[in-house]
This record gives sequence, C-alpha cells and structure tokens, in this order.
Amino acid sequence: MDTQLPLAGIKVVEHASSVAAAYAGRLLSAMGADVIMVEPPEHNPLRREPPFLGSDSTVSAVFAYLAVGKRSVICDLRDEDDRVNFDRLVSGAHILIDDTPVDRRRAIGLDPERIESVHPHLVHLSVLPFGAVGPKAGWQGCELNLIHASGEGFLLPNGLSASLFPDRSPLKIAGHFAEMQGGIAGALSALSALWAGEGQFVDVSVQDANVAVGAFTVQRYGDGSLEHRVSRSFRYGGVIECQDGYVELLTLEERQWLGLVKLMGSPEWAMDEALGDATARSARGSEINRHIHEWARHERVDDLVARAQELGVPMARYNTPEQVLAGKHEAARELFARVPIPGDGTCQIQTAPFRFGERPLPVRDWPSEPGADQELLKRGASRPAGQHQREDA
Amino acid sequence: MKPLQGIRIADFTVHAAGPFCTHMLSQLGAECIKIESAQRPDIFRKPHPVYGRTGPASFDQVASNKLSIRLDLKKAKGVELAKRLVAISDVAAESFRAGVMKRLGLGYDVLRSVKPDLVMVSVSSSGQTGPDSHFAGYAPLFGAWGGLGYLTGYRDGPPVEMRHVMDHTVGLNAALATVAALHQRRRTGQGTHIDIAAREVASSLVGEALMAVSAGARVERMGNEDYRRAPHGLYASRKADRWLSIAVESEPQWQALLRVMGKPDLASDPRFSTPERRHAMREALDRIISQWCATLDADETARILQDAGVPAHVSWNTEDIVHDPHLRQRGAIVPVKEADGRERAAVRFPARFSRSEGVGIERGTPRLGEHESYVFGELLGLSTKQYEELVSDGIIY
Repeated sequence: MDTQLPLAGIKVVEHASSVAAAYAGRLLSAMGADVIMVEPPEHNPLRREPPFLGSDSTVSAVFAYLAVGKRSVICDLRDEDDRVNFDRLVSGAHILIDDTPVDRRRAIGLDPERIESVHPHLVHLSVLPFGAVGPKAGWQGCELNLIHASGEGFLLPNGLSASLFPDRSPLKIAGHFAEMQGGIAGALSALSALWAGEGQFVDVSVQDANVAVGAFTVQRYGDGSLEHRVSRSFRYGGVIECQDGYVELLTLEERQWLGLVKLMGSPEWAMDEALGDATARSARGSEINRHIHEWARHERVDDLVARAQELGVPMARYNTPEQVLAGKHEAARELFARVPIPGDGTCQIQTAPFRFGERPLPVRDWPSEPGADQELLKRGASRPAGQHQREDA
Repeated sequence: MKPLQGIRIADFTVHAAGPFCTHMLSQLGAECIKIESAQRPDIFRKPHPVYGRTGPASFDQVASNKLSIRLDLKKAKGVELAKRLVAISDVAAESFRAGVMKRLGLGYDVLRSVKPDLVMVSVSSSGQTGPDSHFAGYAPLFGAWGGLGYLTGYRDGPPVEMRHVMDHTVGLNAALATVAALHQRRRTGQGTHIDIAAREVASSLVGEALMAVSAGARVERMGNEDYRRAPHGLYASRKADRWLSIAVESEPQWQALLRVMGKPDLASDPRFSTPERRHAMREALDRIISQWCATLDADETARILQDAGVPAHVSWNTEDIVHDPHLRQRGAIVPVKEADGRERAAVRFPARFSRSEGVGIERGTPRLGEHESYVFGELLGLSTKQYEELVSDGIIY
C-alpha cells in the first residue's frame, strides 16, 4: 500500500455489479483506499462486459478499468456461513458499497437496518439507479434509461448533429456517462460521511446524480425556458467540419469573437458593424455559422486549432481515441500508464481524472482473479482503530 | 450536522466547473466565500447571447449557498486580503487558466506559506502543466479534447458537443478530490495542490474505450446502441417527441418484454432466440419494437415494462423532472427562495444521509458583496473604518 496516497488506510468492501457502484469503488481505490470486491460464486458480471481488450480478447476493458487496484473474494451471501464471513470482512472496513436492488437486500443481509445494527461504525453507501427510497426505488435502469431519465438524453444531440438529423431520436452520451456520475457522487458522499465521523446509511441515486450535473436546465425552466435539443444549439460555432476532421468552437467573450474574425482573415461579412453587438450576432447566428462552416471546410484541423488558441479563440480538435492516447499534451502529463494485460500484451490506462501535485496517481495492481484474496474473508479487512474519526469528535 | 461543517473555502472559481465543485462542497456544509469584483464579476453572472438567451445562463444554481465578497485582485492590497482569507480557510479553489493565480501573487507556493496545510484545488481546461496548459476552453472543448465528444453521436453522423453536464462532472470530480485531500490532511497534517484538467475528466469517462483501443480494439461512435444488449434504443410513441428508452440485458427481461408486447411467438423466432442473435438482428428487432411503441402512451408503457422487470424510461424533458414526485420525495429537486422572494426549483446535493442533517441548499444567489460585513468584519477583524477605506480605495470593489 502506498502510504502517500490520499486515502491510504481507508478500507472499503464493495458488493457491486453495476458500473455506478463499481466506479465509486474505483475512484476510492485510485486514491489509495484498499477496496475488496465481494463477488458471487458466478463472479462479477462486469467481468463479462464489452468492450474487450483487443479484437480477439475476452478480457473486459470495462471491468479492468473499473476494478484496477481492487482485491477479490468470493462470498455467497445467500449462504448463512458466508454471511458470517462477510460480516467479519465488513467489521474491518470503513465503507461498504452495495448496489443490490432494494427488494433483495433483506434476504442476503444487506438491508440498512441490519447493517447499522451489526456495524454501527460503517458508512453504508447504497448506489442504485433510482435510489433506495421513493416511489421508483424499485425501478431498474441501464445506462440508456438513466441518461434519458435525468434530462440530458432528451437534450442530445445538439449543434451540427441535431441540424443534420432533426427527426431522429434523442441520444445517449458515449460509454457509461450517467452511471459514472452515480459513482462519482457516491464516492464523494461516502468520503463526506466518513469525514463526519459516524456510521450512517448514504443513499445515492444515479438519476439524482445526473439531474444534479444537469442542473442548469432546471434553473432555466424556472426562468421560463424549457430546453430542447434543437433549440439549445449554440447560435454560431459548435461542431465544425474541416478538411480532415472536426473542431469545436465556442466564443463567449467579445475578445474571443474578435479573435475569430482575425482567425478567419477578417472577411468582409464579419466586418459588418452590426455584428459588433453580441445580441445582433446571436440573432444572425445561422448566417454567421454558414460563413464559418464554409471557411473551415478548407482548413486543416491541427493548423487551425493552433492558430485559434494563439489568438485566444476557444477551439479544440475532436480527438479520436487514438489521438487522445497519442496526444503530446497527454504524454507530457503522463496521463496514460502502460500496463501488462495478464497473459496477453499491454494496454494503456488513465489512473484517475485528477492528480494531487504534478504527477498522476500511480497505477494500482491489475484486478485480482475471482477469489484471489479469499484469505481476507477469514481475517477481515483490518480497519485501523481510531483512524479517520472527526477531528473534533 | 452537515458532514463538512467547519470547513471553510476561499472560492476564486468562475464559470461553471469550478463553481459547481464549491457548490457541492457548500451543500455538504462547507462555508464557501466567493471572491469576485465589480470590475471582474464571475462571467456567468451576465448573459451570453451565443446561447440564445437574454438572462444569465446558469449562475443562480451554482452560486446558491455561497457567501459573496468583492476584492480587486489586480491590486496589491486586494491580494493581501485574499491571502488573509486563505490563511483562515481550509481550502482555496480556483478555475482560472493555468498560471493566472501565480501571476496574481496567489499561486500554491505563496498560499501555502500563509496556510501550510492548505488544500488548493485548481480546475482548468488542460491542467497546470503540459504544452496545452494555457489553452482556453469550455465544456464542449473539454469533451472534444478528451474523446468523449468524438465517441458520442449517431454512427453515420458527426461528433456531438458536450454541454454543461461536462462542466459539472468536472466540478463533481473536483469536489471528490478535495474531500479526499482533506482526509489526507487529517491523517498526515499535510495539504496538497489538486490539479483537475477538464479534458482528463472527459477522457476518464470513456476510460474503458481508451483502454480497449490501446490494446488493439476498434471503438467507434454507436448512437444509442450497446455492445451486447438488444433491444436497446429509443422508440417513438404516439405523442410527438415522447420517446421510450428500452434496454434488455437478460433472458428474463426479453421474455417479460414479449409478454408485455403480447408477442410470445417472437420467443421461438430463430432470429431472436439468443442474446447474440438478437444483437446481430437488432435492426429488425428495432423495427418490431418501433411498430409496437408507435401507438402507445410512453409513460404508461414505461410503468408496465418496469412492473414486468424490464428497464425502461421515458426520455424526460426538464418539465418532467421538475414535477416528478419521486425526485421531489427524495429531495433531489427542491424549492429555493431568492432574496426578492421569488421561488424557483433547484437541484439539491445528490445523496441522502441517514445521520448528517441539513445537507442541501440554505440560501439562493448572493448579491455581489452581500456578505462583506461578516467576512471582512467578523472573520478578518477589519473595523468599519478600515472597511470603508478599502471600499473608497477600490480594493473592495
């Protein structure tokens, strides 16, 4: 264990089969917590979730990304003896993460009432699609349902895609965006509860987390504006097609607009005095965008972005995954670490979305094989006594 | 008691990502003092017509709960007062371009000298180091740099720009890192400087795809499709623009869907007899589901499908969210009263705590400088005369 990491000494038991709950554990693990996955005899289903690490591989990239640094025990919570083992494990932990559906919790001893009575010290983090309380607490939700249950899905796509395909269905964000918001909110909430120094049940809903990060639409609704994916497009700028790819352009400030005009070579249409006013530009956004699209079509992405940033114009290349991995900036910041895939080649992994100091957080061990750390069930997670209690407690 | 009660934040953040971080921490109980000036207010206090609106885009939500003071950080005395405020704070948060705090005389090294165990959190587009660290950027650019924007979109369409959810997930991550750093400080007595690059948050959200690509797999944008689940999509209902999301991930769910659809014969259709075949034939399957959904009420069908154990939900607009009894009961959506008495819906911190009480929003948007008597008087010990002199000198401005 790296004692220099922010969460060194914090013990977490994770009973999770969803991306959301597993991502909460993953973030804690990245920051140094000792996270022990409790898997059923049939193993964590995330181990079988695509995409895989290579075209012929059966190693799940989803699982590897979510479980790096975690240890594994197999424990059948339907079995009474194993529940005793589980309690021994949890008695040494600071945080328990669970995503068992509410109606199945009691049968396997994971209802908050029992956990609180047996482990009063514990921060018991529940991460469920719609939370543990409320009329929809029993509802199921995959990534697709959750991004659309929280408002952001309805608002996508916007910009160029919405104008090209105005009649198509709304869209999800790539990957597991919504579930990961539940995980981030879960990790933040669990650490906050731990900071408070008393055991408690923390109820996180993936839907709530996504409504929170989508908060602005709620404010705008209060201001009388019901947003729609077509109408919320930027009046000009947005996704712009170039000769060899796409860039994103967004100018909020006057100086940025002036920089854009210069970047375009001060064309005659942009010198129209009326366009000196931001509101007038907004009203004539479609016309401005036609000019921008026409101009950008002849530009090469890398050259354009470099010149734009030089002039203070916010512009970025739409990076393919390969470009992200090969990025000079990313390399300079050592964002991706190369790690061996057990038995088959190597891959690159981002250890965390943040860093403490200049260096990225270190890569932790490849996820354990199912049950590789079974001895932990016998001796528990060994929570250091008195650690992480509130300063003024 | 709120979990972070007793923690104080000197908040220099502007725009959306940084302020959302401190907004989350303030809802958890931290006392958050927002530092602006009349000359350079948070640019999100004012409208940006490029969004097509005449009012401020987003300020009220993320400014809720915060205390507001004015300080001209271009003046030496303003910087000195900022340092005095940091000296009595636990956290300093900022979201300028990399290097700006240093140029202001408020870099981490300086602030650490006045508060040795300070947790400083810096939110920026590209991080504090690296060749692009000076780049300007907003949410859509973060998504573009990090690969999230490229991978989002219809298979045959262009990339899609990320909007404020991108900013806010940066803020949520920043809040998490801040609380982790506080734990570290409690254990070691040491502060730290947290560096959050928004583009790295974007790439972390497609971390599994980047891993797969680095190992030789091909990953492309795929609309609403899934690698293995089918049916998995958005289906139009009888009401215009009322879409139903359905995601079937197991055999029992497939059987349940067929029962609800009244199409048990599809269970024996060889095209759909296994999950792999259903996925391979997903376009044909989508046509069947689309035909079925086209005459239905989406909300009622979602309820019926959920009762049968099938993951389904209507693609909700904000009106649905604001009025939803479930979100209201959970306290995810709460009413907030502004200083002018106006009430609006706001979004509360996304967790319920069984013991820590009071998590959430206590106050609405602060007026610029509203809390100067408390901050400069009670916290920093300035007399009324000193305060007035600083105001007349344009230091507090």
